[in-house]
Amino acid sequence: MKKSKTMLAVFIAPAVLTFLIAFLYPIIRTVYMSFFALENVTDKMDTWSFVGTENFITLFTQSPLYVQSMSNITRIWLIGGAGVFVTALLFSAILTSGIRFKSFFRAVIYLPNVVSAVAMGTMWVQYVYNPRFGLVSTVLNFLGFKELAQTQLTSPAYVFYALMIAYSFGMVGYFLLIFVAAIDGIPFDYFEAATIEGANFFNRFFSITLPLIAENIRTCIVLWSVAVVNFFAWSMVFSPLQPENGTVSPVVYMYQLVFGSNIMSTVQRNVGVGAAVGVTLSLFVIVIFGATSFIFRKYKVEY
Amino acid sequence: MNNSFKSQIGKLPGYILVLLWCIFTFVVIGWIFAASFSTSRDIFSGDMFASGIILENYVKAWFANNVSMYFINSMLYTFSAIAGVLLISAPCAYALSRFVFKGNKIIQNMFISTMGIPSIMIILPLFALFTSLRLTNSRWMLIILYICINVPFTVFFLMAFFRNLSPAFEEAAAIDGCGPIKTFWTIMMPLAQPGIVTVTIFNFITIWNEYFMSMIFASRTELRPVAVGLFTMVQSMRYTGDWAGMFAAVVIVFLPTFILYIFLSEKIIAGVTGGAIKG
Repeated sequence: MKKSKTMLAVFIAPAVLTFLIAFLYPIIRTVYMSFFALENVTDKMDTWSFVGTENFITLFTQSPLYVQSMSNITRIWLIGGAGVFVTALLFSAILTSGIRFKSFFRAVIYLPNVVSAVAMGTMWVQYVYNPRFGLVSTVLNFLGFKELAQTQLTSPAYVFYALMIAYSFGMVGYFLLIFVAAIDGIPFDYFEAATIEGANFFNRFFSITLPLIAENIRTCIVLWSVAVVNFFAWSMVFSPLQPENGTVSPVVYMYQLVFGSNIMSTVQRNVGVGAAVGVTLSLFVIVIFGATSFIFRKYKVEY
Repeated sequence: MNNSFKSQIGKLPGYILVLLWCIFTFVVIGWIFAASFSTSRDIFSGDMFASGIILENYVKAWFANNVSMYFINSMLYTFSAIAGVLLISAPCAYALSRFVFKGNKIIQNMFISTMGIPSIMIILPLFALFTSLRLTNSRWMLIILYICINVPFTVFFLMAFFRNLSPAFEEAAAIDGCGPIKTFWTIMMPLAQPGIVTVTIFNFITIWNEYFMSMIFASRTELRPVAVGLFTMVQSMRYTGDWAGMFAAVVIVFLPTFILYIFLSEKIIAGVTGGAIKG
């Protein structure tokens, strides 16, 4: 087909324009902003005052809540991530082992991903973890652990783990879907040949499945990192009134700092610090992207 | 694969694990659903239906607690935005997957890279931009925002569908004197329909459930979509102690995507795994 420059522009320009307005321009401006001090996000650029790397230093040395929030998402990334990946891999191995109702199980496990995070979070906080009529306490009562059943699971002592488990529970389904599709893509003769040679379920899983879906695991690690860095709705649902140590995430911290009404009184409002939070989170993702590219570089497969 | 009884017995531990997980999911959702037809007193006493099945919670949530308003807002945002996204993304996806030109690969990578960008990186300048355009506190702002942030994924997703269509269609159209733009809208778009339906379902779910952006940009109550509305409602119900009403609100908010999923789960699952990456 004949193509002209005008025609190309008609097809592509609107989408590229949205990219420039909603992504490129804001990203550049946020990075720039992170080196300046400004009181309101709507302040004109000529009123910003340059402070160099001071915003970043403030974050790491004078903002205990920010440090706590980074520690929270790092632990969710590591501990929750380990749980999510082990569970998703185990379930994908089970679902691809030839069991019945595979599609049904898969659909149910993925379900939390289509429901609003606020609705999901509310179900966990108000029902699953409720010490009066909640699921956990009912099960504990039934098993005879009357004392344990009274535990306030969303109290400061336990809220971090309560949050991490609730969040990770939903994410299992997402990665499960990707892993199941990847395993279904492995030629069946590989497994058959191994079975004939006497390999059992575990041999097959560790020697064939895992190396062949390594590339997908890597993609999922990057996706997991992006999801954890964006952590917001779940924190808000678990601590709706003000940020708490156990649940605060960097995005919540930024939100309170820039838009919040109950500002942490010790810190003077500086939107530049909020921008710096964004930059540190981007670096978190970039480092993980680079590291996984390096670690998984040997695992490119083609059938 | 061998599905004989004996081989299924060996898979028993697997069945049990997966089944337990599914039962947990059903119990949680089923209980919330049941509680939404109960009364707060009965929920606490443990005998959910002591006072029978109560529909009043829904009536109260829908009318007295503004859920109807949030719901209409969400409908408006979601439908306007998915139409806008499609209008902008489909031609671009088509051109990128069909034509060889300088910068094609760069544009593709540009769109893909946005999927790794934390949303916190874009919202501060966008807030300033919308304020200077006097668009804050208008419904347009959220619609424009939702269109812009969902374009990259939609382009990326649709490219795969246009790539698989045979170029013979366009050649035939060109011989008949049909211009490229008309060819695209009347011939290629209908052919890519399966992809368009799938990506539209994804965009529906994403925009319906969106929380972070609307929390920041829709500060006025009458502009709020369901996710933010539900959040505010849960807070107030903590003080009023209306638990049954709160669970009714939760059900109203999750029902649209839940029903969509019951009917279209196969399509949604195929979409997630078909090279696309979005939850």
